[in-house]
Amino acid sequence: MSDALGKAGFWVVRLLPHLMVLTGLLAIWEWLVAAGIITSILIPRPSAIIASVFRLYVTEGSIYEHFFITLAEAVFGFLIGAGVAIALAVSSSLSESFARYVTPYAVVLNVTPGIALTPIIIAWFGYGMGSKIALAAVLCFFPIFVNTLTGLRQTDPDREELFRSFGATQRQVFTQLRVPAALPLMFAGLKIGLTTALIGAVVAEFAQATAGVGVLMARSSFSLDMASSLAALLSMTLIGLILFYSMELLDDRIVFWRRDARMSAVSRARARAWADGTGK
Amino acid sequence: MAVAADIAAAGGPSLRQRRMLTHAAIFFGLVALWEIGSRAGWLDPLFFPRPTDILASFWRIYVTQGNIWYHLFVSLSLVFAGFIAGSVLGIGLGALVGMNATVRRFLQPYVIVLEATPRIAVAPLLIAALGFGVTSKIAIIMLVCFFAPFINTLSGVINVDRDRLELMRSLGASKLQTLRKLVLPEAIPVIMAGERLALTAALSGVLVAEFIQRDKGIGTLILTYTRNLNMASAFACIFTLTAIGFLIFKGMEVLDHRIAFWKNEAGLRRVSTKRARGWAEKGGAVHV
Repeated sequence: MSDALGKAGFWVVRLLPHLMVLTGLLAIWEWLVAAGIITSILIPRPSAIIASVFRLYVTEGSIYEHFFITLAEAVFGFLIGAGVAIALAVSSSLSESFARYVTPYAVVLNVTPGIALTPIIIAWFGYGMGSKIALAAVLCFFPIFVNTLTGLRQTDPDREELFRSFGATQRQVFTQLRVPAALPLMFAGLKIGLTTALIGAVVAEFAQATAGVGVLMARSSFSLDMASSLAALLSMTLIGLILFYSMELLDDRIVFWRRDARMSAVSRARARAWADGTGK
Repeated sequence: MAVAADIAAAGGPSLRQRRMLTHAAIFFGLVALWEIGSRAGWLDPLFFPRPTDILASFWRIYVTQGNIWYHLFVSLSLVFAGFIAGSVLGIGLGALVGMNATVRRFLQPYVIVLEATPRIAVAPLLIAALGFGVTSKIAIIMLVCFFAPFINTLSGVINVDRDRLELMRSLGASKLQTLRKLVLPEAIPVIMAGERLALTAALSGVLVAEFIQRDKGIGTLILTYTRNLNMASAFACIFTLTAIGFLIFKGMEVLDHRIAFWKNEAGLRRVSTKRARGWAEKGGAVHV
């Protein structure tokens, strides 16, 4: 009990200065606008932004539709882009000649600012969610492809030697040496990809859409309702954080050996399972 | 195939040349397939322009009509102005924050939040706040350019070698000297990586700004062509951007090579002979 209190107290002590700084900054901001030093039309008061958030999320509740549409566009685009990227990266790592013929096109795609494709993708896929998903997929492809391929290609000669001396098959080398070694880099790529997928969805919404947080934001900006616009921006941040931390969680579960605490938990569980199965 | 065999028999091409030949063959094969597919009516040329149409558009927008030059000039000057302002700010603040542990601790949560926000999304807000025109466009580019150099400078400054820092301190170096002689040179490779990201982001930033403002620039041009269903010209603009992106990529690589000269053998030798000569001319005898 006292231990739990001590832990909570520890967090309070650590968070308190941060909260004080934040409150202080917000108070100064509020005062600057209230005193008329900053025009409230351009930069709204913090209290107005909080009121907007409250209105959008609670009293009107109008944000949820937009929120989930943007979230879905980013996630579907990410899944498509990541699927293609990982498939191509795995094939490239398995076949040297396949890699040779795919890489130039991937590089061309990388140096082209993907956002330039927005109008064309909208012409191809229409005004609905399809075009947003497509742009998200295009934008998140490259970081995932490059990181997965780099990860699969890096080799540790000692480990290769070990696998060979145990007489591992080609398949075993791939699934038990290459893939686990590639996972940390792959996850780094997936995290970048998620962020760029969100950017893709939002930019496509700016260009042409009927629903989504991007539309909400553009609309409120252009009607000079800056408080709602900033509330929409905060919602994008929230989506970004949700996406990032779910990937972080997945990273933590799958690449367990990189963190000591997770490592010992997993090995303890495995040891127990092994003891249950084979006996003493 | 027969041609390749002939050349091989003549003792001709290396493996590299043969590979280039295969690459070219595959590329032109794909382009031909596209052209044939379009002419045979499998692909709608309204949405998927033919390669020959794209080539004709290149000729038109660059030579006969020549309208792309103006838009390119407008967009690229914005890109460079915003890039320089944004990245100078990013590097400066990154170094400042990196040197001070307290500031770093209090700034960190905001950095995490900002990192999760799609920064380009602030574009409409900035346009509404600063009005239509050059100011808001440059502000957008500055914003997307700021972050990568900032983060990279910060991490470069934090990760300076402890022993070297100790050495500087024991030699009685001032804070500024430590920054100039140790911290910045060590951080330069990481900073340059950030700059590369920033320049790419700047190109995307100007496009988004021009998609929203729709007055001039390459982004507006692409949007207008697409709206008029002149897809061939839109593609010609996009391939132009590919070329610019490639030039930026290569240019940054060269710059990286020159600035972080100690990272490669040739650069190190070049600079050290030059410095030795300069030092010898200044009066000191060179001990060999």
